[in-house]
Amino acid sequence: MLDRMANSSVAAQTALAQPGVLVPEAPAGLAGLLGQHRGPLTVDDDFLVLDDPLEQEDFSHLVEVDGRALQESILMVQGMYCPACTETVEAALAGRKGVVSVLVHAATRRVTLRWDPAQTLLSGLARDVGKTGYRLLPMRHALSVEARLAETRLLMWRLFVAAFCTMQVMMYSWPFYITEPGEIPEVYAHLLRWANWMLSVPVVLFSSMPFFQSAWRDLRLWRIGMDMPVSIGILVTFIASTGATFNPTGVWGPEIWFDSLTMFVFFLLGGRYLQSRLRDRTAGSLDALMNRLPEQCERQLADGSFEVVSLKRLRVGDVLRVQAGQAFPGDATVLGDSATVDEALLTGESQPVTRLRGQSVVAGSYNLAGSALVRIDKIGRDTRFGQIVSLMEQASTEKPDLVKLADRIAGPFLVLVLLSAGFGAWFWWQIDPALAVPIAVAVLVATCPCALALSTPSAMLASAGALAQRGILVRRLLAFEALCKIDTVVFDKTGTLTQDRVVLREVIARPGLEREQALRMAWPLASASLHPVSRAIAVQAQPLASAPHQGELGAAPGAAPGGAEPVDLVQERPGAGLVLERAGGVQWRLGSAALCELDEAQLLAQGRSVFDAPCAYLRDEHGWVATFVMDEGVRADAPAAVAKLREMGFSVHLLSGDRLGAVQRVAQQLGIEQVVAGASPERKLEVVAALQQQGAQIAMVGDGMNDGPVLARAQVSFALGHGAPLTQSQSDFVVQSGRLSELVQTVRVARRTLRILKQNLCWAGGYNASMVPLAIAGYVPPWLAGLGMALSSFLVIGNAMRLSRLPDMPVPDPAAAAAALSMR
Amino acid sequence: MDSLFVLIPLSVLLVLAILGLFWWALYNGQYDNIEREGERILKDD
Amino acid sequence: MSAITADALSRAHPDAQAGIYNDKVVRQFSVMAVVWGVVGMLVGVIIAAQMIWPALNLGQFGLEWFSFGRLRPLHTNAVIFAFGGCVLFATSYYVVQRTCQTRLFLGPLAALTFWGWQLVIVLAAITLPLGLTTGKEYAELIWPIDVLITIVWISYAVVFFGTLATRKINHIYVANWFFGAFILAVALLHVVNSAAIPTSFLHAYSAWAGVQSAMIQWWYGHNAVGFFLTAGFLGIMYYFIPKQAERPIYSYRLSIVHFWALIFTYMWAGPHHLHYTALPDWTQSIGMVFSLILLAPSWGGMINGIMTLSGAWHKLRDDPILRFLIVSLSFYGMSTFEGPMMSIKTVNALSHYTDWTIGHVHSGALGWVGLISMGALYFLIPRLFGQKKMYSVPAIELHFWIACVGIVLYIAAMWIAGVTQGLMWRALADDGTLAYTFSESVRATYPFYAIRLVGGTMYFAGMCIMAWNVWMTVSMGLKAGPVPQIRIPAVAPAHA
Repeated sequence: MLDRMANSSVAAQTALAQPGVLVPEAPAGLAGLLGQHRGPLTVDDDFLVLDDPLEQEDFSHLVEVDGRALQESILMVQGMYCPACTETVEAALAGRKGVVSVLVHAATRRVTLRWDPAQTLLSGLARDVGKTGYRLLPMRHALSVEARLAETRLLMWRLFVAAFCTMQVMMYSWPFYITEPGEIPEVYAHLLRWANWMLSVPVVLFSSMPFFQSAWRDLRLWRIGMDMPVSIGILVTFIASTGATFNPTGVWGPEIWFDSLTMFVFFLLGGRYLQSRLRDRTAGSLDALMNRLPEQCERQLADGSFEVVSLKRLRVGDVLRVQAGQAFPGDATVLGDSATVDEALLTGESQPVTRLRGQSVVAGSYNLAGSALVRIDKIGRDTRFGQIVSLMEQASTEKPDLVKLADRIAGPFLVLVLLSAGFGAWFWWQIDPALAVPIAVAVLVATCPCALALSTPSAMLASAGALAQRGILVRRLLAFEALCKIDTVVFDKTGTLTQDRVVLREVIARPGLEREQALRMAWPLASASLHPVSRAIAVQAQPLASAPHQGELGAAPGAAPGGAEPVDLVQERPGAGLVLERAGGVQWRLGSAALCELDEAQLLAQGRSVFDAPCAYLRDEHGWVATFVMDEGVRADAPAAVAKLREMGFSVHLLSGDRLGAVQRVAQQLGIEQVVAGASPERKLEVVAALQQQGAQIAMVGDGMNDGPVLARAQVSFALGHGAPLTQSQSDFVVQSGRLSELVQTVRVARRTLRILKQNLCWAGGYNASMVPLAIAGYVPPWLAGLGMALSSFLVIGNAMRLSRLPDMPVPDPAAAAAALSMR
Repeated sequence: MDSLFVLIPLSVLLVLAILGLFWWALYNGQYDNIEREGERILKDD
Repeated sequence: MSAITADALSRAHPDAQAGIYNDKVVRQFSVMAVVWGVVGMLVGVIIAAQMIWPALNLGQFGLEWFSFGRLRPLHTNAVIFAFGGCVLFATSYYVVQRTCQTRLFLGPLAALTFWGWQLVIVLAAITLPLGLTTGKEYAELIWPIDVLITIVWISYAVVFFGTLATRKINHIYVANWFFGAFILAVALLHVVNSAAIPTSFLHAYSAWAGVQSAMIQWWYGHNAVGFFLTAGFLGIMYYFIPKQAERPIYSYRLSIVHFWALIFTYMWAGPHHLHYTALPDWTQSIGMVFSLILLAPSWGGMINGIMTLSGAWHKLRDDPILRFLIVSLSFYGMSTFEGPMMSIKTVNALSHYTDWTIGHVHSGALGWVGLISMGALYFLIPRLFGQKKMYSVPAIELHFWIACVGIVLYIAAMWIAGVTQGLMWRALADDGTLAYTFSESVRATYPFYAIRLVGGTMYFAGMCIMAWNVWMTVSMGLKAGPVPQIRIPAVAPAHA
């Protein structure tokens, strides 16, 4: 629970750009391994939290080696960009006292470390690594990652067995293709058949298990999926061919079909293996986002001093000191005067709020101004945060089910095949009973749904790969089909349609004052606060503030190198703004009209303020200096994306936790009519559920924790790359760039995927159907069945490969987008 | 073609041996970290 | 201080050796490889000359041991097993130590493999001219020598796999997979094919007879080419090209796929040597099909090696050693294309028993095996003798160009001769009888035998230049001081 909450804070933390926390770079999809090399991190954490046994339970376990009790820890290395980095990390660890073995796995940035707790501490090792510029973090879900990788490895092993045996079986079958019956002396023919049988046994007993397991699962649920005809095909073919091998004059006839059998398993397993690898890569990218140091906080002891403890040790009633930029670890009561908190990820509120003494702050929200003293009221599942997570989990189980297209035709297909085989058997029974069973088997083999079963995965994998190249991660392949049924798109506002923080739109300055001058003047105040408005100003002012100018304030307070100037005092007044006391007694103020003792109505009348946007004012000892007009900054590509979606026939809704005024402003800009504002996560869920009741098929686009439950409930979910990691890891699609135009692109890709998928199914089904009469007539020898299977599979795969390249769509130029939004 | 009585069973055994070899390699971690192994030899002496 | 004394000193302090690579046996094999290369190629030149001037058989002097029939197997054994074999021993011992970062397992046994192998070669050089032969291609040696080969080979396997088992780096570099496969395959092939029942010290009856013997022989023969001359040398390629180019192999992942793809397609290509013989048609066809399939993995390996230079092609301009290594790959590609083509029955109908087959063998042998061996030796020898580079780099250049021209002359001559023979032998006159006599075809191809002799002599001359260069390098090295003792890099405990 707490770790999930901590994970939600990654995005916000990076937005606050704390030193030492690196923004995880967008993985370059399936191409490219680790990306461009960047410089070393500055690592100054003390890592003491890693020594806490309670924390270690997450990523370490005990191993016994030669009678010594060692710990095996799985950690993630942050800051690794190339294979050479792995050398550095290994070298930093390998020689240390107490380290027994080090293995760095470059592709997943994992390090498996075996160390002796009697000789060394993990914190010390992490610090040693930190000196070389890399940060060790506990691997979240270390055990489930290991389990997932073990699963893929097993699949690769099954595939290799199938591949190798297929090759050898083909070799031993070849003589039968090119000779007339009887040309090969019977004893050698028997030898060849025996060899084929030997080599097919591992394929059936071992490689085919995933299909049998899945078919059995379906059977228990009285469902028929594609794996059912697959499994039946494998089993019948093997049994019949075994019969033919050991008793060629028996009821099964003389034909063996081991070549078709092994090839069949090989192709289908290949598709599965590729799906598994895609899942690993996607999950790996998303996992990388979730790793950070376990949260610590300062807890007050009985004597008034503070100790640093891991979040896991917190109890209700603890008094904590939460620093600026940290998230509140639980629902808590404010004990100090006040606290300014950012609840955006939880509620969608775009403005920070002030909580006074005695009021509550919510777990997962951020403390913005100064350190806050709070008392914990609720922890874990009991917190608001925890309730949202529960809601999310529940919503995902209530998500309307989509049966795969391929599975829907599996049932009828199977019935048709069995009927055909039955018919063939009955027909030949009248003519020559000895041929009845062999013909039935021939029908079953000829209709083995190889190409049919490959139709779906090949198309989806190709599309997922193509999207990954563009930075769109596909977590659930089925979402392609679901996306084609969508008729409604629901957007969150804050961080989805708008930038995830306020942006400075315009500067109205005192006559005679240039915009740049006003910004430079504001810099010393703006740079001292984490408040979104201050940060918006600071971002624009910082590049201008480096060169000091005459008659202006110059460098930030206290930042003059060498401390040439006496230190100025900047005070943050929660909910109001900042006050700067210069050494000479001069006072500057930046913030609300009230703080600056200005009459807002008068400023409006004078054209020095703006009505419909939040403003921050700057005043000096003489009075008003400048007005900084803020904007929520609708994303540059949002209007075009929304327009396009409407054009494509979707009904577009806006569902936000923010105030009505702010929501309507954005809705107007984008032309969205259906608007719900002030919605809690529960309310959001209600709205979406109601729409679904009316038959709407919904795609939800969001980023924050408060969107989590809705994203879980919607038929298709899109998370944006900068949002809460937990939200991303549960969504069907993750648009890492955050560009809304990618949504439109994804819909196009999904439609194209489904078109090609249907083509594949048609072709494959048609091929199988055409083979039935041939098989009944006895015209399908093993070589033809094998050849047909191979060719039809290659055709389906080839058709799917058309999806590997996305149709051209111009990528919006980020610089142009920024320029479009710039505050001129 | 009596030699086939030797060659064919021999190659079946070989296939099984090779499968076993691959299993060993896979589970021994030989294919875990492929990308850097090509570079490793450049560092010696 | 000479190399001998230094080695003796290090032998006296065995503990001091623990942290040092065993390059002594590598040195020995490397030097002998050059020696046997010269010898084997000289014999090749002699027999090529004999085909032009039969008088050179020296029959009139009663020197039957000098005749073509006796010298030809001496040539094949010398170049494949003496020259090629020593190169493989030298490089595999060198590579396995360095990629495992450990000293050779059971050094004394490794020494045994050296002396044993030299004994095998010397015995071959004595018995073959004396006419003691089994008549099996590339397996002519009589049974006592076969037993010796088995002993040496088992020792080789113990040393090689023992070194792998005691490795300090967990990952086994891909070159070692190729070496390992080559060692095991050759062991299997040798034992099965050479199985025989002795009747006297110098004679035995093969366990196989008639068409069975042919099948087993060419199962052996082709896999000898496939594993001895291909897999083993691919191991060399995968190590020495990256080292000389100072770049990692183009795609390490591909090299692993290449390995597995190659070994399981090779086993059944043998029958393509027996097209239109008493072998049943269907067995011949298997051979054809799987020889064709072999094309893909072979070319995968070639591309992997050549593309290692991607982005650094300029190195080829300045570095003749790299040129040897890379050009060898293009000959490899050529041969592995030519081979499958020739295994197609219709093509084979023309090429079987002609000189085209000889041309094919030599493009692979001179182009691929020869050049990669020379490149690897040029890399190794300076390092083994404490020198920064070979005594004369221009001599390497000269060697390269002479060798290449020689190869081209050789194979072009053989192509033309082969196709001429094939066409002439099958040509029918109007009445349905053969249009040409055998001797007419010999006369037609005779000039090309002369060209082949020129090509082969050039190749031999190149080898002599190499021998001189090696001699100078080694002397300089020995004069400069004791041979280098290379320390094994210290590795952290249980470093994976």
